[in-house]
Amino acid sequence: MRASRPVTAATAQAPGAPAGSIYDLGYRHYEGRRNGRGYAMWSLFVESFRGVWGFGRPMTAKAAPFILTGLYALEAVIQLAFSSVIAQQAATSGQAPQLVGYHTYFTDFYFLVFFFCVAQAPELVCRDQRYQVLPLYFTRAMGRIEYALARLASLAMALFILLLVPMVALFVGDILMKPDTFKAIGDELPLALPSIPACALIALSLAALSLAISSFSPRRAYSAIGIVAYILLMEAIPAAIYSVGQQAGWAWADKLFLLSPLTPLFGALSWFFGRPLDRQVFSGSLTSGDYLAAAIAGILVTTGVLLYRYRRMPA
Amino acid sequence: MALIETAGLSKHYGPVKALDVLNLQVEPGIIGLVGANGAGKSTLLKILLGLIRPTAGRASVLGMDSVTETRAIRQFVGYMPEHDCLPPDVGATDFVTHMARVSGLPRTAARERTAEVLRHVGLYEERYRQIGGYSTGMKQRVKLAQALVHDPKVLLLDEPTNGLDPTGRDEMLDLIKRTGTDFGITVVVASHLLGEIEQVCTYLLAVDAGHLLSAAPLSHFTRRTPVLAVEVEEGADRLATALVAGGARVQQSGGRVLVALESDAMYDGIRDVVADLGLSLVRIEQERGRLEDLFRDAAPPSGIVQ
Repeated sequence: MRASRPVTAATAQAPGAPAGSIYDLGYRHYEGRRNGRGYAMWSLFVESFRGVWGFGRPMTAKAAPFILTGLYALEAVIQLAFSSVIAQQAATSGQAPQLVGYHTYFTDFYFLVFFFCVAQAPELVCRDQRYQVLPLYFTRAMGRIEYALARLASLAMALFILLLVPMVALFVGDILMKPDTFKAIGDELPLALPSIPACALIALSLAALSLAISSFSPRRAYSAIGIVAYILLMEAIPAAIYSVGQQAGWAWADKLFLLSPLTPLFGALSWFFGRPLDRQVFSGSLTSGDYLAAAIAGILVTTGVLLYRYRRMPA
Repeated sequence: MALIETAGLSKHYGPVKALDVLNLQVEPGIIGLVGANGAGKSTLLKILLGLIRPTAGRASVLGMDSVTETRAIRQFVGYMPEHDCLPPDVGATDFVTHMARVSGLPRTAARERTAEVLRHVGLYEERYRQIGGYSTGMKQRVKLAQALVHDPKVLLLDEPTNGLDPTGRDEMLDLIKRTGTDFGITVVVASHLLGEIEQVCTYLLAVDAGHLLSAAPLSHFTRRTPVLAVEVEEGADRLATALVAGGARVQQSGGRVLVALESDAMYDGIRDVVADLGLSLVRIEQERGRLEDLFRDAAPPSGIVQ
């Protein structure tokens, strides 16, 4: 090895290096540790997660994720900011305040989460296809499946945080309204805790669905349109068939709601928070358990499509 | 054991035979893989990397099978694709560091190696700028850097001088040469430009239509041939007639007269004939083989020509 020779001004220079480049110590081989697949996936996960939020990218890339997160959390943050006022009014009027609940928050503001997916999912998977970066990944320690799973995990994690921010704000706000903080934590925690599995389910569902659709086009715009079109159509078609079916007496028509991307998520929320389904919203005879099962099945199917797509991806 | 070895390697896309029963053995060095577009160069590289599966036959890199031990191979192989492969909205440092980490290098090592490799390929201040604003030459350097960053034992370069201007091409070739000779990394350079291969390679693999045309050290192709080329300003016909009359085997090609070299005395003989005819002699030289002849001559369908 070159390193074993005494390093003088003459030998420090690599042979063939242009004269004057005294700082060029020549090429050194890497003898250190090489981590395996898990580390490669973790590295891609971290890079993707930063990418979803626009870190390491120009300022314009940060706009969409942060504005959408801000908007999604806005209602909860307002309630938090005015928690003392709300508490005072409730004390003087003697009526329980009308508050935004954990279980209805997503149902009320889901479209912002939906926009987040439309904006950021194509960012994660289209870029590498469009600029043909994939062969560089596939010729490294990382396989196709690992690549797809790391990307999926990063978007799911980003969505999970997006969904959880208002839940935390609501929780803090609710505690601050109560005079006895410790007792309030004890009272509120059982109500708030189901938001964690509920947010995880929603995050995984939407991440897997939007990535699976995005992965079919290298163009961001087409992917985004694809996600919007799929979700709107798959929400509208079962509803339309159901309303026809009610007149025609088709008993099976309500089962079609299980195929929608969003309706099972709304239904599953009731299951997590242990509340009855609002029959004005959820027509038919399906239970919240049915919706939960449909949501989980949806995650499996969309993840399967995503992995299949990456197995077949030409490199 | 050969560094890269293939046996009966075939890849068919429907009726198209991208590779057809290819047998070759590659020893360490700088290896030129030449062939026209569509000759199967990229297909061969992709099979070696495990990106595509061969239809038949097997290939091994560093003694590891390209289908069953793909992961183990990839740790020791660097790949520079033919096409653009860089996202435009990140800096070269960030991108190459990320690629180093995906190759399994710990965070600190990834940063150090990136700095070293980018300096090696000649990217300095501009490495923090976004890749989208780079020239083609700079992008090619980043592509080479990402292939080198994890310190591979074998470097597979697919048309590394694509789109470069003459200066950029010379710099890239010099870089490849240094990588191969100074670092002890075996480099396989796929190219359709013989001139480039001639400049850097020590060994040559010529493929055509999925077959191996020949495999031999570069000097084999450019060695002297037993033919003297005589060039005169005018009167080549008269010279040829005189030489034939003198008993030499002669062939005329262009303005030159080619004489079969049978003994050293022929130099003097030719000189005297030229002087007797009163012609102005431009040069007498021994003909050298040229790489182009490889593709011009009818070639055997398969097997190694030594």
